Amino acid sequence: MGLEVDIIFKIAGVGIVVAFLHTVLDQVGKKEYAQWVTLFGFIYILFQVASIVDDLFQKIKSVFLFQ
Amino acid sequence: MVKIIGAIFIICATTWTGFEASRYLSERPKQLRQLKSALQSLEAEIMYGHTPLHEAARRLAAQLTKPLSWFFETFANKLTGTETTVKDAWEESLSEVWKMTALKQGEYEIMKQFGETLGRHDRVSQQKQIMLALTHLEREEADAYERQSKYEKMVKSLGFLSGLLLIILLI
Repeated sequence: MGLEVDIIFKIAGVGIVVAFLHTVLDQVGKKEYAQWVTLFGFIYILFQVASIVDDLFQKIKSVFLFQ
Repeated sequence: MVKIIGAIFIICATTWTGFEASRYLSERPKQLRQLKSALQSLEAEIMYGHTPLHEAARRLAAQLTKPLSWFFETFANKLTGTETTVKDAWEESLSEVWKMTALKQGEYEIMKQFGETLGRHDRVSQQKQIMLALTHLEREEADAYERQSKYEKMVKSLGFLSGLLLIILLI
C-alpha cells in the first residue's frame, strides 16, 4: 500500500510544479515553452500511470486466467 | 537521509543558477548607465578640459567602478605603451574587456563605431559623435530595463521550480 500512496503524492507534486511553471512562463509571454513543459509533464505522468495499470492487468490475469 | 541531503543540494544549485542569471539581467542596465556617464565625462574632458585622450581615459578609469574601469585603463595603457592608432587601441581593449561585462552585442557595435570616429575630428564634430553614441546607448538602456523587469522574476522562480521538479522526478 505504501508504494501507491507514494506514487499519488509524486503525481500531485509533478502536477503542482508543472502548473506553476506554466503560469510563470505564461505571464512573461513564453507561451510555446509553457505548452511544452505541460506536455512533457503530462507524458511523464502518463508513462507512470500506464506502468501501474499494466501491473494491475497482470495481477488480474494471474488471479482469474492462469494459476 | 542521504536522499534529503541530495535533494537540498539540487535545490541549492538550481536556485543559485536562477539568481546568477537574474544578477546578470540586473547588472546590464547598471553598466549601461555607467557607460553613458563615462561618455559624458569624456565629452567634458574633450570639450572643456582639452585633455589628451590617454589622460582622459586614465581619469575615467579612476572615476568608474570595476568592469568598465578596466576598459579605460587598458585603453590608456595601449595608447601610451604601444604604437597603435586610437581606433585599434579602442577596439582591442573593447574585445578584451567585453567578456567580463554584462553587456551585449548591440552595445559592442555602438562602442566600436564610436571608437572609429574618436580622435579624427575637431571638437565640435567629436561632441556630435558622442551625442550620437549616447542616444544609441539610451535606446539600449531602455531595452535592458524592459528585459530586466520582464525576465528577472521569471528566471528566479524558474530556477527554484525546475529544481523542485527534478527532485520529484528523481525520488
